Amino acid sequence: MVAVLSRIFGLHHLELIEDAVQDTFLKAATSWRSHIPEQPEAWLTQAAKNRTIDLLRQINARKNRQDQIPHGSVALEIDDRFLETDIADSQLRMIFVACHPALAKEEQIAFALKAISGFSMKEIAGALLLKEETIKKRLVRARKKIADLNITLSFPEPKEISSRISGVLQIIYLIFNEGFHSTKPDQLISKDLCGEALRLCKLLLLKESFRTGSLYALFALMCFHSARLEAKQMGHDIIDLKHQDRGKWYLPLIVLGNDALEKSFSYSDRSLYHYEAAIASEHVRAVSFENTNWQHILGYYDEMYALSPSNQILLSKATIYLQINQSKAAQKTLNRIRPEELGQRKYLYHGCYAEYYGQVQEKENALKEFNLAISLCTNHLERVYLERKRDAIMGSSAD
Amino acid sequence: MMIFIGADYEELGLSPDQLQERMGKWFAWGGKMKNQGILRGGEALHANAKRVSGPDRIVSDGPFVEMKELIGGYYTVVAENADAVVKIAEDFPDYDLGGTVEIREIIKFEQ
Repeated sequence: MVAVLSRIFGLHHLELIEDAVQDTFLKAATSWRSHIPEQPEAWLTQAAKNRTIDLLRQINARKNRQDQIPHGSVALEIDDRFLETDIADSQLRMIFVACHPALAKEEQIAFALKAISGFSMKEIAGALLLKEETIKKRLVRARKKIADLNITLSFPEPKEISSRISGVLQIIYLIFNEGFHSTKPDQLISKDLCGEALRLCKLLLLKESFRTGSLYALFALMCFHSARLEAKQMGHDIIDLKHQDRGKWYLPLIVLGNDALEKSFSYSDRSLYHYEAAIASEHVRAVSFENTNWQHILGYYDEMYALSPSNQILLSKATIYLQINQSKAAQKTLNRIRPEELGQRKYLYHGCYAEYYGQVQEKENALKEFNLAISLCTNHLERVYLERKRDAIMGSSAD
Repeated sequence: MMIFIGADYEELGLSPDQLQERMGKWFAWGGKMKNQGILRGGEALHANAKRVSGPDRIVSDGPFVEMKELIGGYYTVVAENADAVVKIAEDFPDYDLGGTVEIREIIKFEQ
């Protein structure tokens, strides 16, 4: 709705529009409490149109100009903007505004969730585990930049499309990850984030000129991950891939993901999303954890590393070597990592080393690494997970 | 083609509620024509105008007519003949504000 109205009135009225939309939903919430209309969507659209007329008046009053005063026949024009295809188009334009390179990453995320997905400030704060005040500041900054730079709701120039799209994909991926890796008790919002990311991806796929291999690959990746969303969490516990009930995976999404993955490799561009999606597809293809084709996965990691070397990839590889009990290979890989470059994820490195020492029966070193990992880990659930693992390995030595 | 003639709403000093109600009628009318499948399109026009005239292409800025004679917009519909459009135009919301609908047939050549 914000996207549609912004297209009618222009982005310089963004704040007014956002307020109006919030107001409409508030009204809906109050009046629906006593009576839910038969067609809620039609009700909202009608309410939105009425707001549009109000806004036209307000905005004209501000401009103090005579030239935008509505004649009744603007009804057709307003009507058309609320057609489904046009709504999609407005939102698509808004994505490019949100992901404008002039905005910082965190501003892009906050702005996209607000202006395209219609989350409230409180919901965004909840989803990103930040204070509402922080989100507010980011939104203010984003809006100011949009106004200062006179950013409009237009699609990027053809020659810019590929570079702009890759920025958009990054934001979609970040939004998805926020949802997917969230460990909050309130699951609803995190699922919403994953759903939004998928929806935005689908919007981009609507337009022929935006379709690239990376776009399809990202879509595939998110499908595979989303399919596992139900099986990933039980109450407050995370269930790792090994122990998830594979029957709970959602098949239609896997099928959709497979299609998208196939398409992604028919384009000439290659991205990290391609290999991440390919890896995810190997996981969902395996009937059981033990059945997973680890050699394929290791191959994909190598290709990823060739495309863009990172410690994170090495770490993932080491985990797999440990999984298939190739301790020597795991150690070799771990030795190539510079742990200080891992930042917050350093604990994973120590966790891996701990497991390696566990496998080669060097219990003392294992204990040392486990404790180091636990002391560095900030996520409560993961800390519990590490402690359990430590106790299991250390316990087996007592026998 | 239905051409809508009459002063614009700001000029008439409609209150927000009146405006809301009136637009509701326009939406309803447009929706009705859409459902009947007869609406082909239309535009609303700004009051401001430019005129180019004479061999020297003199440009002047309007509006050039009185407010109540201003063309505010037009819709095109498919109909058997002008009389059928008269029927359609019965639902035009602004007669009570002194508005007028002028109906003109668009020339179509036989294929």
